[in-house]
Amino acid sequence: MNANVLDKAPTPPTSKAATDAPEDQHLVKRAQGGDLEAYDELIRRYQERIYATIYHMTANHEDANDLAQETFIKAYQALKSFKGDSSFFTWVYRIAVNKTINFLKQRKNKTHMSLNDLDFNAEHDPDLVALVSDKTPRRDVNLIELQEKLNGAMQKLSEIHRLVVTLHDVQGLSHEAISKIMGCNTGTVRSRLFYARQQLQAYLSDYLK
Amino acid sequence: MNPSPEEFDRLRKLLTLKRHEPPPPGYFNHFSDKILARIEAEGLFIRNSWWQRLFPELDAKPVLACAYGLVIMGLLAIGVGVSQSLETEETAAPNLGRPWFAQAPASDAVLPVSVPVAQASLTGQTNPASSVNPVISSGAPSFLFDVNRLKVEVERVKHDLH
Repeated sequence: MNANVLDKAPTPPTSKAATDAPEDQHLVKRAQGGDLEAYDELIRRYQERIYATIYHMTANHEDANDLAQETFIKAYQALKSFKGDSSFFTWVYRIAVNKTINFLKQRKNKTHMSLNDLDFNAEHDPDLVALVSDKTPRRDVNLIELQEKLNGAMQKLSEIHRLVVTLHDVQGLSHEAISKIMGCNTGTVRSRLFYARQQLQAYLSDYLK
Repeated sequence: MNPSPEEFDRLRKLLTLKRHEPPPPGYFNHFSDKILARIEAEGLFIRNSWWQRLFPELDAKPVLACAYGLVIMGLLAIGVGVSQSLETEETAAPNLGRPWFAQAPASDAVLPVSVPVAQASLTGQTNPASSVNPVISSGAPSFLFDVNRLKVEVERVKHDLH
């Protein structure tokens, strides 16, 4: 089996991004000076998290691929105007989020899911195993079905609510980090998160009892 | 609807399923290469002049900045040293090894100097140069760079020829 498949699920990026910030600044300065190797390093640092965020928003690998590439190209074009008021991590996330929301607004009625396969670890995740155990009313459900149901429910949320759930519950970002990315206060993030979870719970009630 | 904390907890666990959806194997191996290729293909590459590239480089590497500083200080010290030694040599042996145009003016020369022909005529002197009293000058004729005096001198030579 491919080593990539055996990799553990992505860990919450918040703390790592915070510790990487000073090193990011040097890389950004070098990239602003025309050093492509420095920008290559920045891409490698954040490619997985940016891709994952976009993928969870679009539920489509091809769209996520295109948008992730465009995000980094747009970030490079705007790199000269980056003054370091926020971290590079927050800044590039903001670009990705804006691009994705604009894309979803245009796509609106043409939703089509092309979900990536679950990795090997999903079948061994105790939390997920518990969800498909005989305690669930839908005993015939398996992880792939659960994945489809979950993504279907996510797609029913508005873009803003889907984004909050993705950044907090999937990506593991803090309320504060999300508020910086979305340009709102933490109270708004909390209330949006609460509403989004309520919606999801209603859509997935059969799988949560 | 007021969901119970247990249901919220189960929802949170269900959402972790999303973390187990990686892209196709090897997807990120060439991801950055594709982006950099597009940046170059679309002509977006940031091109700065050498000094615009130098400052971020120095900022990023303080050791490099110190090295540059030391090299510049060294060059300055060598420059000052060389100029001082030249001054000392000049004081010891003035005008030696220097071309005529770089030497001191004739008035400063130690040699006995008679007034040149042109200068003599222009200043109204009645003692022009002759074979008995040759013109000796250690400097360039002063009228060479004075256009008006040069014209007068040319007219005078033409008149003598006729």
